[in-house]
Amino acid sequence: MDTLNNWRERLISKTTRPTLITTYKYWLWFGFLLVITGNGVFQYWKQWQHGLYVTDMRDRISWGLYITAFVFFIGISHAGTLISAILRATKAGWRAPVTRIAEFITAVALLIGASFVVIDMGRPERIFNVYLFGRWQSPIMWDVMAITTYLTASVIYLSAPMIPDLALYRDRLADKVGVVRNFIYRTLSVNWKGSPKQQKLLGKAITIMMLVIIPIAVSVHTVVSWIFSMTLRAGWNTSIFGVLFVAGAIFSGVATLIIIMAILRRIYHWEEYLTEKHFLYLGYLLAAFGAFMVYVNLSEYLTEGFNLEEAGLFAFRQLFLEDFAAMFWFYIIGGLLGPVVLMLVPKTRTIAGVVTAAILVVVAMFLERYFIVVTGLRVPLMPYEAANYAPTFVEWSIFAAGLAIFCLLITIALKIFPMLAIWEMTEEHAADISDRPTEEPNMVGADIVGSLTSTERLPDAGPPAEGGGS
Amino acid sequence: MIYRHILSGARIAISILAAVTILMIVDPAVAAGIEIAVGAPDTVSVGQEVEVKAVLSQNGVPVEGAEVALTYQASLAGESARVEIATGTTDETGIAVMIYEQRADANGEMQVVYLGPDADPVEPYVLTIAVESAGPQLYEFEAGVKIPFVNGTLVILVISGVWFLIGLSAVYLVRVGWDGRGTSEASTPEDGSMWISTLLSTVAVITAIGMVIVFIRSPVSNTHIKDPHQYDRTPIAYVGVGFSYVGFGLNDESSAQTGDPIADGSVLYFKYGCAACHGLSGRGAVVGAPLVDEIGSFGGFSEDTREGPKGMSEYDEATISEENLQKIYAYLKDEG
Repeated sequence: MDTLNNWRERLISKTTRPTLITTYKYWLWFGFLLVITGNGVFQYWKQWQHGLYVTDMRDRISWGLYITAFVFFIGISHAGTLISAILRATKAGWRAPVTRIAEFITAVALLIGASFVVIDMGRPERIFNVYLFGRWQSPIMWDVMAITTYLTASVIYLSAPMIPDLALYRDRLADKVGVVRNFIYRTLSVNWKGSPKQQKLLGKAITIMMLVIIPIAVSVHTVVSWIFSMTLRAGWNTSIFGVLFVAGAIFSGVATLIIIMAILRRIYHWEEYLTEKHFLYLGYLLAAFGAFMVYVNLSEYLTEGFNLEEAGLFAFRQLFLEDFAAMFWFYIIGGLLGPVVLMLVPKTRTIAGVVTAAILVVVAMFLERYFIVVTGLRVPLMPYEAANYAPTFVEWSIFAAGLAIFCLLITIALKIFPMLAIWEMTEEHAADISDRPTEEPNMVGADIVGSLTSTERLPDAGPPAEGGGS
Repeated sequence: MIYRHILSGARIAISILAAVTILMIVDPAVAAGIEIAVGAPDTVSVGQEVEVKAVLSQNGVPVEGAEVALTYQASLAGESARVEIATGTTDETGIAVMIYEQRADANGEMQVVYLGPDADPVEPYVLTIAVESAGPQLYEFEAGVKIPFVNGTLVILVISGVWFLIGLSAVYLVRVGWDGRGTSEASTPEDGSMWISTLLSTVAVITAIGMVIVFIRSPVSNTHIKDPHQYDRTPIAYVGVGFSYVGFGLNDESSAQTGDPIADGSVLYFKYGCAACHGLSGRGAVVGAPLVDEIGSFGGFSEDTREGPKGMSEYDEATISEENLQKIYAYLKDEG
């Protein structure tokens, strides 16, 4: 018991480190992100003034980097779903240290992704026409529905398992942080006292959200793919797009998670918690999804190419041999086969190898989204020359700002929220050291919360009183 | 086929005879106008090519070179209009042959109408062509396949189910806060559960209202044809309804004589069709190169306009005067 307590205290001090200690490097990084964001805002102001003319989108290729960014960020947002919900549902115990980061990525990436739709609009104030003039027959409407639902569900799914940790922060950090954070902790921890009834209720809430968020997440990226595949365009009009997009989303989501985990681990010295095992397990997931993506691509292009139609000929040539060949082959070889090879070779089966694979995957998945959007629109529907598209400086700036705001929000969240799931990790650790595999706690129900807090409540009973006095 | 031709030919002959007879006996004032007689089969089937012959005469003399049209009353999604399905011109015997393909499984009232060249109104000839019941019609009035229970209601039910579960989960969280309320210590004066219930109910209510609005307004067709006036979009043109174009008098000489060369140039830029290729503000488009920032000197601009490089039309002095060209140049220079 004492060992567990010491372990937990160390975990708490390590987790609160980013919240309590702010170095000049943090502010440098913060300022750097602000500069990029500022440039993006300025360029958007230019776009607001002159319209979409400042982009390279024209009548033929009317979707470009913004829609690519939309698909890319929505894809990244699937990190939380896989790691947190699917692994929680399948009771994979090793997920505990990575869930919180994954859930934050989900919520933040969704916000950024959804904003890119508005950025892509020449008349952004018309966004409400979706409600005023929307029709169920339109895939855009399905998208709005799915993303609204997913965003709400993600926020709840992020906040619910965080309640016990926020209560801990509320009790422990009351006199160490300012008014704002105190207010946040008090409000978001919804009067958590760890009573058995509260544990039961929280367990129910988490279980429902965990089960409900998986189909929602799958629907979100399927519907995103339908925006393309419901059209009669060569290269887009295919039934496999839903599968390709969902698999690709989880693929890029896991990769992003690995990269952010590696960065946080290095900065805040979380080596003890984010171990090589976590990276390797995530790396195996990456490799498995990479292999699956290879299969989906093979299935798609072989069927389409075998009974090649006239428009498909053009679509194939530009992808396999001509303008987009470099991107396409990097995607196949570097982004899909790369992670598989890196995980197969024992020498590269290390944290560095996993992170390399993750970077390859993120770049490749971005390129995939780009060439899917652009090549589909490039196929001429009438006998005219194919149009070309190259993002302008304005588009790149706004995309960079999207990335910067993504990092910025996570950087700010680091200062406020517990990035490691303290109670879940303690729970997992307790199960590890208890050496009694028959008594492994139920990972989904109320027991998890119960078995943890009933033993852990007493040491915590002190600090709240202190905090209250101050 | 031959039989049918003979038959219709016989009908035409009878019609002409009848028309001539009528012309001989009716009031001369009426007889002064153009008379239409029509020969057409009584019954046709779907998919058949139907030949309708109109005979035009004036005072018993065949009318040559008259334009006629065959129309019928069409209705689509609640809108009804007269649609032309064939047109023809009379030859020296006063006969115009119009051929159409029978697509619908029923015809409404059909008419042969006189289009010109005379401006005087001519009484249209009303005819009825019955369609044999056998065979489906060649187009559908409603798109898609209707599968029972697979409809908007099902979509609403699924979405409602998901939102119910999200709401249920939120209710549990609200209850967590409620349960901890009584035991609240000094450090937690607020009822912390309120934010989540507020957030959730707000989002849920907005989304629910949105869904209801969309659902109620969702029309039966894909075109919003029933309620177009509320839409800030390109006006929908109905079949058979002419749309008068209310525009800007580009051909009005005075519109480019304001005295301000830039304002005049902007009008002339449209008048001579420059915008069609070079874009609305001269910044280039699919075909034409951008002009605004790359215009250079007037000499080069003038030379290009007169000679028409890279497949562009040549605009000589007779088309665009030197004075007008300078105005266009001033306008483009100002845009840059």
